[in-house]
Amino acid sequence: MSGDKDQAQPGINSEALKNKDQLVVNSSNNVNSSDEELYPLALLMDELKHDDIGNRVEAMKKLDTIALALGPQRSRDELVPFLTEVAQDDEDEVFTVLAEQLGKFVPFIGGSKFATLLLPALEILASTEETLVREKAVESLNHVAQELSEDQLFHDFIPLIEHLATADWFSSKVSSCGLFKSVLARVKDDKFRKELLALYLQLIQDDTPMVRRAAGKNLPVLIDLLTQNPDLSTTDDWDYISNMFQKIIGDAQDSVKFLAVDVLISILMFFNKKEDITHSKDLLRSAIQLITDESWRVRYMAAERFEDLASQFESNPQYIEELSGPFLSLCEDNESDVRKGVAKQLPGFAKLLNNPQVVLKKVLPAVQNLSMDESELVRASLASEITNLAPLVPKQDAIDSLIPILLNMLKDEYPDVRLNIIAKLKVVNEVVGIDLLSESLLPAITELAKDVNWRVRMAIIDYVPLLAEQLGVEFFDQQLGDLCLSWLWDTVYSIRSAAVVTLQSLTKIFGSEWSSEKIISRLLKSDSQLLENFVYRITLLSALTELVPVVSVDVTTQKILPFINHLADDAVPNIRFNVAKSYVEVVKSLGPNKSQYKDLINKSIITSLERLRDDDDMDVRYFSTQSLKQCEAILT
Amino acid sequence: MEIDNDVAMQDAAEEPLDPTLDEDAGTEHQDGVQTREGPGSSGIADHKASKPLQLDDGNIGQLDRWIEHLGSCQVLSEEDVGRLCKMAVDVLQFESNVQPVNVPVTICGDVHGQFHDLMELFKIGGPCPDTNYLFMGDYVDRGYYSVETVSYLVAMKVRYPKRITILRGNHESRQITQVYGFYDECLRKYGSANVWKMFTDLFDYFPITALVDNKVFCLHGGLSPMIETVDQVRELNRIQEVPHEGPMCDLLWSDPDDRGGWGISPRGAGFTFGQDISEQFNHTNDLSLIARAHQLVMEGYAWSHQQSVVTIFSAPNYCYRCGNQAAIMEFDENHNRQFLQYDPSMRPGEPTVSRKTPDYFL
Repeated sequence: MSGDKDQAQPGINSEALKNKDQLVVNSSNNVNSSDEELYPLALLMDELKHDDIGNRVEAMKKLDTIALALGPQRSRDELVPFLTEVAQDDEDEVFTVLAEQLGKFVPFIGGSKFATLLLPALEILASTEETLVREKAVESLNHVAQELSEDQLFHDFIPLIEHLATADWFSSKVSSCGLFKSVLARVKDDKFRKELLALYLQLIQDDTPMVRRAAGKNLPVLIDLLTQNPDLSTTDDWDYISNMFQKIIGDAQDSVKFLAVDVLISILMFFNKKEDITHSKDLLRSAIQLITDESWRVRYMAAERFEDLASQFESNPQYIEELSGPFLSLCEDNESDVRKGVAKQLPGFAKLLNNPQVVLKKVLPAVQNLSMDESELVRASLASEITNLAPLVPKQDAIDSLIPILLNMLKDEYPDVRLNIIAKLKVVNEVVGIDLLSESLLPAITELAKDVNWRVRMAIIDYVPLLAEQLGVEFFDQQLGDLCLSWLWDTVYSIRSAAVVTLQSLTKIFGSEWSSEKIISRLLKSDSQLLENFVYRITLLSALTELVPVVSVDVTTQKILPFINHLADDAVPNIRFNVAKSYVEVVKSLGPNKSQYKDLINKSIITSLERLRDDDDMDVRYFSTQSLKQCEAILT
Repeated sequence: MEIDNDVAMQDAAEEPLDPTLDEDAGTEHQDGVQTREGPGSSGIADHKASKPLQLDDGNIGQLDRWIEHLGSCQVLSEEDVGRLCKMAVDVLQFESNVQPVNVPVTICGDVHGQFHDLMELFKIGGPCPDTNYLFMGDYVDRGYYSVETVSYLVAMKVRYPKRITILRGNHESRQITQVYGFYDECLRKYGSANVWKMFTDLFDYFPITALVDNKVFCLHGGLSPMIETVDQVRELNRIQEVPHEGPMCDLLWSDPDDRGGWGISPRGAGFTFGQDISEQFNHTNDLSLIARAHQLVMEGYAWSHQQSVVTIFSAPNYCYRCGNQAAIMEFDENHNRQFLQYDPSMRPGEPTVSRKTPDYFL
């Protein structure tokens, strides 16, 4: 293929050079596919005007190459005006790429001094109807804004925001909401900042919900900026923000109202940073109002963010206690999505309560109920964090009250519930000890390991190294060793292959000697009847090969290599070419001591590979030729 | 286990051999006139080699790059499809009508453009070339990724001709693909029908049956009243569009049936054949089994004719809505059979909130 290309390219080049300037872009520094080699500029410019949209999109993606070739001067004078025109008349697919490219364009037009030249095109793109284009344009505008000086900001960027924010059509206003964050903290003049906030307040109370939603969504970022610059904002600014918050929390649309949760968290973070508690009581009331809102979407948001929200009141235990009632009502919410959200927050909130008795009396009953929730998603969500409750109650209570719940969840019919519990067992292990845990844990694991759904089996396999580390070698050998080896004989390839990887991980944890004794020796004694099936021979080969890099050289040469040699004469070609691949792994591991093993490598490995190179099967010949080359590279 | 006749019939009813195209279908695709040009117009077979394609480091590297690219469900460029198809012609033209296949091999049924489920298949059965595969046709139509699916399988075939065998199904045809999606998908993904022309020209070279270790006869549809021996299949001229009738048509269209003897197929092509026919055919040709695809079976595989015939279907949740399992059959070097069933692959990006008001509604 590359042959044809090389022939064709110079032809096009010379054509292009005659007509256009003598610019040939050598993009070899950022080549990722061969067709980018020596792309003539003229061709790219033509492509930008091509009839086929696909060509225009592709050409647009190479805009940086074009600009680099043109140089800053011509990019400013010719390319940017051209692109500004394109931004008014093309398809959304092209706009998307253009909007993205312009964000990276400042270096190509001569640096930040000229950055404002990019704003007209981006402003047009930020006003289009297609959301994707607008989002890219806003992102790029924010990029460009970072390069602008204070002067440019005032003369060009803020007017641009004002244009967009006061446009007739909602799409421009939505875009403007995303731009304030680039300027707000950089405006040191109180008067100007107030004007900006006044403008933002207009957006917060816009007629269209899309604008209000965009404004509400971006407000936390703006407040966080004030938190990062605590001495910047004035009481006036905060009057505006408080006003905005009231508008959002009172919005008739729940898709706007639920944004109040994040706004509230940001406001609380600001006052906590200032150590100002004068508004705490009011804000607590707002929090409770949101948690008990009649719209489930608002409650869902409050439930999802509960720990973040509650932790803002941490300094006052009484407030935390006041939140516990609303919290428990979320746990009993009618909507399963709300319960799902709050189920993850239980340990976090329990920690804030900081009182084992309250946790036992109030939180554990809620846990008990949620653990038997009718929705499996709620139970799975609970399972993902629940174990973190263990250290928060006295050990005996954990054993008496929490462990029975966990055990029940380990028997849940929905596999995700069981898996989530198993994934976080370490913390329970630390509290109640391994003996108690293993007694109840093992049956659950064994059952999951036999699940009919292979992805459930897969998930358990993935956790085995984690469990092995948590539970130790003795426990592993007694309880899990057999199980791990049995996965090698699973009917599903992915399970066998995951088992192979797991054996390697376990060897890394427990060491070469352990592996040799407990894994390799047993593998080599595998049932000969089983090995009549090629699937199991190839699995065994792959398991032993995978272990080569993590066991000692002695184990490799004395145990693994003889087995590989023995399979070199296998009747199935697939085995033979995998033998050829395995040899490379062995030679790699012997590489550092190649002089010591010279005889072994030459007599056994190279000889065998050379024989395979003359095999009847073309794939065996190919892979052994490849392996010989690789071995040679290692050995010289 | 019996074949679910209801579902299969529905499939058959939806799928007449002679689809009457919409009147305006021709005018809708202005280049339709051009696309309906005769077979061979793509030119992929204009310079056929006189001996099988020899792989060297150059084209192996190229194929490996294509396979990696296709493996992430991205289409090749039109030029690359042309190169691939030319290479494939020089592999497939030398295969027999009854392509011999060695054991062990994993036998698979319809895939129908469900690319992600094909990847799932390899997760279940193991990657090619480590595992040998035999696919019994119907790679295109219905699913959303026919181009990716057939490109991937053909690229694998060219790269590892001894490790994978791809037979022709009734959907590997110019006529059927114009109705059931492959033609439109090519038009959508490439902007012209050129890729469709190249692939359909290539389909003419696909072998129509395979014989695994001289014991298992594999084909897409079923038997034909005009074929009594495997040798008769060898004598057919297969390099052509699937005909409307005759032995080659039957091999790609027929179905086994509970009734004995030959019957008229509700599909409008091929025949139905009874247990007596299957047993006679297996006896005459010293076979242990006929393996075929072509019909949706809810468990992914189904025996019929007292284990003379097995149907294998490898498109889980066919058409993304049938709710069926898929299956493949591992046939090992000792002629043991093992069926592996599987469900649709998991697709990322599923919403986690179960009830969400769409934004445009607000």
